[in-house]
Amino acid sequence: MTAIELRGVTKEFGDVTAVRDLDLTVEDGEVYGFLGPNGAGKSTTIDMLLDLVRPTAGTVRVLGADVATDGVDVRRRTGVLPDGFSVYDRLSGRKHVEFAVESKEAADDPDALLARVGLADAADRAAGEYSKGMRQRLALAMALVDDPDLLVLDEPSSGLDPAGAKEMREIVRAEAERGATVFFSSHILEQVDAACDRVGILRDGELVAEDSVEGLREAVGGEETLDVAAAGADDEAVAAVRALDGVSGVTRDGDELVVNCDSDTKTEVIAALEDAGVAVADFHTREASLEDLFLAYTEGGAATRDADAAASAPTEGEPTDDATDDDSAPEEVDR
Amino acid sequence: MSLIAIARKDFQETVRSRGMIALVVLFSLLVAAFAFAVRPTAESEQFATEVLLSVFIGPFLVTTLVPLVGVVVGYNAVSGERESGSLKLLLSLPHSRADVVFGKVVGRGAALALAVFAGFLLPALVLIAAPVVFNGGAFLGYTVFAAALGVVFVSIAVGFSAASSTQRRALIGGVAIYVLFVLLWGAVTGRLVGAAGPLVDALPVSATQLRVFLRVSNPTTAVEALSNAFLGEQLFSGETANRQLSAAAMLVFWTLAPPLAGLLKFDADDL
Repeated sequence: MTAIELRGVTKEFGDVTAVRDLDLTVEDGEVYGFLGPNGAGKSTTIDMLLDLVRPTAGTVRVLGADVATDGVDVRRRTGVLPDGFSVYDRLSGRKHVEFAVESKEAADDPDALLARVGLADAADRAAGEYSKGMRQRLALAMALVDDPDLLVLDEPSSGLDPAGAKEMREIVRAEAERGATVFFSSHILEQVDAACDRVGILRDGELVAEDSVEGLREAVGGEETLDVAAAGADDEAVAAVRALDGVSGVTRDGDELVVNCDSDTKTEVIAALEDAGVAVADFHTREASLEDLFLAYTEGGAATRDADAAASAPTEGEPTDDATDDDSAPEEVDR
Repeated sequence: MSLIAIARKDFQETVRSRGMIALVVLFSLLVAAFAFAVRPTAESEQFATEVLLSVFIGPFLVTTLVPLVGVVVGYNAVSGERESGSLKLLLSLPHSRADVVFGKVVGRGAALALAVFAGFLLPALVLIAAPVVFNGGAFLGYTVFAAALGVVFVSIAVGFSAASSTQRRALIGGVAIYVLFVLLWGAVTGRLVGAAGPLVDALPVSATQLRVFLRVSNPTTAVEALSNAFLGEQLFSGETANRQLSAAAMLVFWTLAPPLAGLLKFDADDL
């Protein structure tokens, strides 16, 4: 079955087109990351899934039903964490979850749900006193009521500290393992990396890319960056590496060599160094940062991949000043 | 049921509202003070609960303050949630927009009715403690009419709130509802009938009949007519039976029509 199916959906607010002729399909059981910069139309799309906003043109089907006519039934089987919501200030956290349980005619224990999102201690406090992160957790608890078939999470990590964001990801993963379809939006790519089966990137109301994280990375450029701790590598050794097929650039930075190469040339790079008599103490590979990838799609056309790859490749002879260093997770390679 | 869930949620929220609690306390103190001030001074004087209610408390306090509380309770029902964003939380759950509007009428109406009963409690104690004959039945019955009046105003205000996209508009609407029905109804309708003189002549009703109809069309006067008949033990009987019936019909109309009209607009809106 198809969890979400948008066909030719357009939404205009006055003379502003928020979403333009959007086709989007999310299969049952999938974890789908819906990405784009702020203002790309993500929230409008999500609002249309929930029938808060009606499309100007096109059809929106969720869990096999048309939301325009069967919105209530759809939402009975859907858990939603909206963006830009507010809580009922005078009601306690527990009352909020009780309300969701009652609304869904479910049998969940509100305290168990509150404990699951880490709000057990705050259950009796008025939600008006909650911090932004706690409100986010509260809404997640309400979304989890009655084990929904579909979870729609709009910017789920907003307002959460890193630990909270990690817990959020763990809950998303657990829900996906249970079999739920998860559809979530974010303007931060790093959050979706591990969790998603597929990613769609929205820009100016249009889907500009849709693939697995791996696929997108490949589309932008299959290059990897190799950091080699090679004390004593001389010019000759550098030249030998540079001469290899698949190597696009080598930079020496003290005892460290930074090599840009195809992912399957890594072994040859190491071998070439050892042949040149350089003792390789250690090396890491670094994948193209997701942030680069994201920017490639949302700011420039991704079609200009070669230009992008060239721009991001450190030029030879200059010390590396790779801004993506902070974001990329070094991957330890066992030799 | 979805409507009941919303009604319960809104009830719990409304009875925790400081604004409403303050208004109820004020109302209660004023009614009690009135009851104390107009109590009989000489031992021989007969004091009737009915007179106190229909002559003093009714026109001065109930028909002015109860609609005010009703409007205050109702005006932000939908627009407030819409502006704050809690409506997103509400409509993420399996509720239709009709459930939202009518759930709020029921929940806030119930909260207001409770508040009216609470507000009449202290005055009742004053009357019981005072050395007068206290007609508990009349007092309780009157309280029901006062509560009904409040519920009608909650309903009108919720309807307006549902149609308003911003809190500001809802507030203006709430003020307008109060001014029209409580302060200016007679003047406005009188002028309308006057201006439409030739038109009225063409209708198969006399200008007097029309004026009577317009009088009971106002929920405030409709409740007054009904409660006075009740206190005079002539509810739906006596010479004014027809008038009372139309008054009751108008109350039903004002309870249902505004939320329905508001829903029409609310249901079509992008939220």
